[in-house]
Amino acid sequence: MRSDYLPDDLKRLWKELASNPVRISPDDLRREARKLWAGVRLRNWFVVGVCCIIIAAYGVFFFASKTALERIGSVLSIAGAANVIVQFLKRPARTMPDFAAIECIRFYRAELQRQRDFHRGRGVGSWLLPLLPGPIIFNVAFALDRPMFAPLVKLQMAGFLMAAAIVVPLNLRLARKYQRRLDALDAAQNQ
Amino acid sequence: MSAKSGQEEYWRQAADEYGAALERLAWAYEADPDRRRDLLQEIHLALWRSFENFDARCSLRTWIYRVAHNVATSHVTRKKRNAPVFLTLEDIEAQEAPQNVEESADRQKALARLLALVQRLEFVDRQLILAYLEGLDAESMSQITGLSAANVWTRIHRIKNVLVRQFHSGGTDAK
Repeated sequence: MRSDYLPDDLKRLWKELASNPVRISPDDLRREARKLWAGVRLRNWFVVGVCCIIIAAYGVFFFASKTALERIGSVLSIAGAANVIVQFLKRPARTMPDFAAIECIRFYRAELQRQRDFHRGRGVGSWLLPLLPGPIIFNVAFALDRPMFAPLVKLQMAGFLMAAAIVVPLNLRLARKYQRRLDALDAAQNQ
Repeated sequence: MSAKSGQEEYWRQAADEYGAALERLAWAYEADPDRRRDLLQEIHLALWRSFENFDARCSLRTWIYRVAHNVATSHVTRKKRNAPVFLTLEDIEAQEAPQNVEESADRQKALARLLALVQRLEFVDRQLILAYLEGLDAESMSQITGLSAANVWTRIHRIKNVLVRQFHSGGTDAK
């Protein structure tokens, strides 16, 4: 086949692909847009609700605690949960990115960078890390004061460390995968 | 025209004039029928929302394709499981040549083969070849992707040649 003929034939072939025109109305879209907002609000309120429960629980622990270390753990836990609430309320709820704002390559790069940074722990770290020291200190203090619970706390800590030992390298591997795709994109653009 | 009615008007125009092209675009990004339907709905929703801010600084067509490609890119990048294996043009060329089209003598099979080749291209190449297959000019492709017009042509030429070689082994007619 002649090479000057083939591409047009492929174009004609390609146009045969679509068969089912989309059946969606403006009302459907308005409804979907509202659902999207409702979903984001619900997710945010769920996180805020869980944090409120954590604050209430450690508030009770603070007053019921016998040792200073337990109280420190409780205060840090409350501060960590309060930090999550502030982060969620401070950040404007976003249902979807602005897809029209940038060209496809910049958008793709931004998506890859976002995914890479997520797997490297950026963003999540800013609210998850402050949440960790409080419960850890509280648990250690609890086990020190009540030796019969020490094996349980040790088991809990071991489980946490094992999960971290699996999750962290996996995420870093995924981050490297996204970095490779970013490098390939840079190479493609510089060709 | 109020902003709300303008939004609806633009979306109707997009759905009427580019509905089929958007469906083909969804095919190029998503092989699974259910997920493809979701993706198409997501594209229409994103278009609907984007038209609140459409300022006609670029053509409606450029706007629509940019939104659609970006939604599809986000859709595929988000997907962790069964992530597609993207191939560079060199990888595709190195693969075994597919079965001859005349031998299959079936346009559906030929179309499926073309689709399979398109679906495996990296995003930038995929966006360009889709724009090419839809008949867009280099300037529009440049505005949609952000590549320079010269780069667009160079890449299109390469992708086209690879696709053509892969599609037809031995120089037979697709008809």
